[in-house]
Amino acid sequence: MTALRARAPWASLACLIAGCSSVDPSTTPPKLPPAPSITVGTGLAGEQILSRGLDDTPRSLDPQLSTDVPGQRLLDDLFEGLTTVDIAGKPAPGVASSWDSSADGKTWVFHLRRDARWSNGAPLTAGDFVYSWRRVVDPKTGAEYAQGMAAIDNALAIALGQKPTDALGVEALDEHTLKVRLSGPTPYLLDLLSQQYAYPVYQPVIARYGDDWVRPEHIVSNGPFVLRENVLSSRITLEKNANYWDAAHVRVQRVIYYIASDRSVQVSRFMAGDVDWTDSFPSNQYPWLKSVLGDQVVNSPYFGTYMLGMNFTRPPFKDNLPLRQALVLAIDREPLARYMRLGIYQPAYTFVPPLEGYQQPRPDWAGLSDAARHALARKLYAQAGYSERHPLRLDLESSRQDPDARHYYEAVAEGWRSVLGADVHVYEREFKVLLQELQLHKLLLFHDAWIGDYPDPYTFMQVYYTGDGNNHGGYSNPQFDRLVDAAGQEPDNVKRYRLFEQAERVLDDDAAFIPLYFYATRHLVKPYVRGWQSNIMDRNLSRYMYLLEHQRR
Amino acid sequence: MLRYTVRRLLGAIPTLLVIVTLAFLLLHAAPGGPFDAAKRMLPEIQKSIEAKYHLDEPLWRQYLRYLGDLARGDLGPSFQYRGTSVNEIIAQGLPVDATIGLTAITLALVVGGAVGVNAALRRGSRWDYGSMAFAVAGISTPVFVVAPLMILIFAVTLHWLPAGDWVGGSPSHLVLPAIALALPYVAYIARLMRGSTIEVLNSPFIRTARAKGLPLRLIVWRHALRPTLTPLVSFLGPAIAGLLTGSIVVESVFGLPGIGRHFITAALNRDYTLVIGITVLYGALIILFNLLADLCYAWIDPRVRLR
Repeated sequence: MTALRARAPWASLACLIAGCSSVDPSTTPPKLPPAPSITVGTGLAGEQILSRGLDDTPRSLDPQLSTDVPGQRLLDDLFEGLTTVDIAGKPAPGVASSWDSSADGKTWVFHLRRDARWSNGAPLTAGDFVYSWRRVVDPKTGAEYAQGMAAIDNALAIALGQKPTDALGVEALDEHTLKVRLSGPTPYLLDLLSQQYAYPVYQPVIARYGDDWVRPEHIVSNGPFVLRENVLSSRITLEKNANYWDAAHVRVQRVIYYIASDRSVQVSRFMAGDVDWTDSFPSNQYPWLKSVLGDQVVNSPYFGTYMLGMNFTRPPFKDNLPLRQALVLAIDREPLARYMRLGIYQPAYTFVPPLEGYQQPRPDWAGLSDAARHALARKLYAQAGYSERHPLRLDLESSRQDPDARHYYEAVAEGWRSVLGADVHVYEREFKVLLQELQLHKLLLFHDAWIGDYPDPYTFMQVYYTGDGNNHGGYSNPQFDRLVDAAGQEPDNVKRYRLFEQAERVLDDDAAFIPLYFYATRHLVKPYVRGWQSNIMDRNLSRYMYLLEHQRR
Repeated sequence: MLRYTVRRLLGAIPTLLVIVTLAFLLLHAAPGGPFDAAKRMLPEIQKSIEAKYHLDEPLWRQYLRYLGDLARGDLGPSFQYRGTSVNEIIAQGLPVDATIGLTAITLALVVGGAVGVNAALRRGSRWDYGSMAFAVAGISTPVFVVAPLMILIFAVTLHWLPAGDWVGGSPSHLVLPAIALALPYVAYIARLMRGSTIEVLNSPFIRTARAKGLPLRLIVWRHALRPTLTPLVSFLGPAIAGLLTGSIVVESVFGLPGIGRHFITAALNRDYTLVIGITVLYGALIILFNLLADLCYAWIDPRVRLR
């Protein structure tokens, strides 16, 4: 028996009620009264019911319509694609047990498991995938993430209404064999096929019930769990799917997702013992939680980047490289990450977050001492035509969505004030307003962030491609575009990564954006929940989890 | 009385129409649309979604379409929860809010009424000052402070009650939210009842009753109580309507599936139909409960005649 100590929740009333303000994480935590602890045994708990917190109500449980993270959590439990992710978040065989690809990497053949079935017992065939993939790219479906399938031949042309849906590069050779034609070599295809938009859906229920097919009373799915109950904004209950091909290895019998969009609520419910796993916690409570809960607080790198965007179509940033560089250089990323984001997030000097096998092209200026970097920034600022008499006056536009970001941006603006003498004010807008202004290229200096859809640099590179819908600053450099295009046609992953690294250097040379920090996942996990590993895509399938015997003393 | 009721109900229709129109115009005037997202979608797909929800039509046609649906009792599809109708969201949330709201208001009436009347009868005593101090504290302490404190004490520390969730309205899940919701109302009703009881006790007909030599208990129960209810009724009309449509704070703190929370997220997400639907519901309930309050006046105070 191992006893894991969970310290008492008495420590700070104020934290739970109002949220803690920024605290220096290096100070010693306050002394705490003796703690109740959780004793964890070695055997499986008799009742395998897993309670997970969820940050928000999923917008849809239709795999092809879902666009949000809460939806992805649920769909990962309810459905399974040709591939799925293993416990470490890496692609693993799902409905397909094996696959072959052609030498040029453009044609793949997937062999489906013969025991793959729908939750109603019907066999799952290659034809189901043909139907589902045509459905996601069909503009009539209105799938917001249709371009996620862009790697499949003709997918974009179909989604743009230029070709019929049966032109899609997917074909059922027989009931258990699926041939996929790609528009270019796609080394991350296996990651892509584990995404919710590539999941199979069951045509007969959709034909019969239309939009209502995802209701608990109608839905047919193929994942480790089935939907039992869906109380909007409150609770979603899943039960183990006896028809799942690997049901023998699924230990959890029931998963209950509790929806709490207020993250402090997830914390209090975790403390009360109602929830075993939270989707997140308020980042400003991190030091307090760490001191109270110790190892139950889990945070790890997440495949996302926070940055500031600049508008390349208007002054002052248009054709003004020294000014852009000055703003990039004047920011002290290390102390900002440590004090303003409490050490949860890692400072960023490049665009693509840390990724296995990928060498981040860390720019030279990142290695300079603070004094040298500041001096260089001042020189560039002067070169750009600004001085104490004529300072840069600008608004930094952020959204109200992330309440903690405000402190951080104020600190960034203060840094620019003290290092350069620039007069930057932080201005908050409602999220939808910010989005609209961004799409109209109205904003000059703005909050921006990107979370990768799959663990490959390509999902990031698109953002600065000329004319991309997410290229809010209107950045354009043919050299960068050429490198990204070349990487898109390169089947060798090592060479591809080199091309992406070169492309990132172009971004840095152009000061295309202001990198700030890389995202991190934030969970509270009870010590008796096992069968999970932190991973950069933050996908933790209930399928692998199990509960050990435990007792609260 | 029946004619009066029917006339008032008919009079509510233009009021509701004004509410719908204003909500509709204000929402559409706000920048950003329901399907603007951080990750941009393809233009064809955007068009297809807009066509599906009739967002591609001119505004006046969308408005007429909405009114037509509304007349048939259809509040339309929700934009933020695709495949879910507003009727369904309200049907799922309203019973939750109604259960908690009615429990809270009953609790508030019983406790607040008793405290207030007692304070009035013992005016100037320690009980009076004590209960009124509690009332002032109750009114001025926001629910977002009281509710987490209650969770901390009763759920996290003592493990007596669950920290949230609903589970079909089981009593143990009802206790904390109902009390949290009731507290400010208890305080308000206590103050209201104390004031009106004092006023009534000073009126000539009570003096007459005292002069007749009736015992205090009889005076209070038979003569004083009914007239003291008048200010309470005018407070309760809109208060009940408000409670039925849910308390945003209590719902989010306890993770309850009511409709109050949807109101805020729907507005932020530009879920036009859901915002207008909840606004119409709220308006209709306020009109209804104000009418009930007026009908109650006639029962409480025979001098009021309804025409």
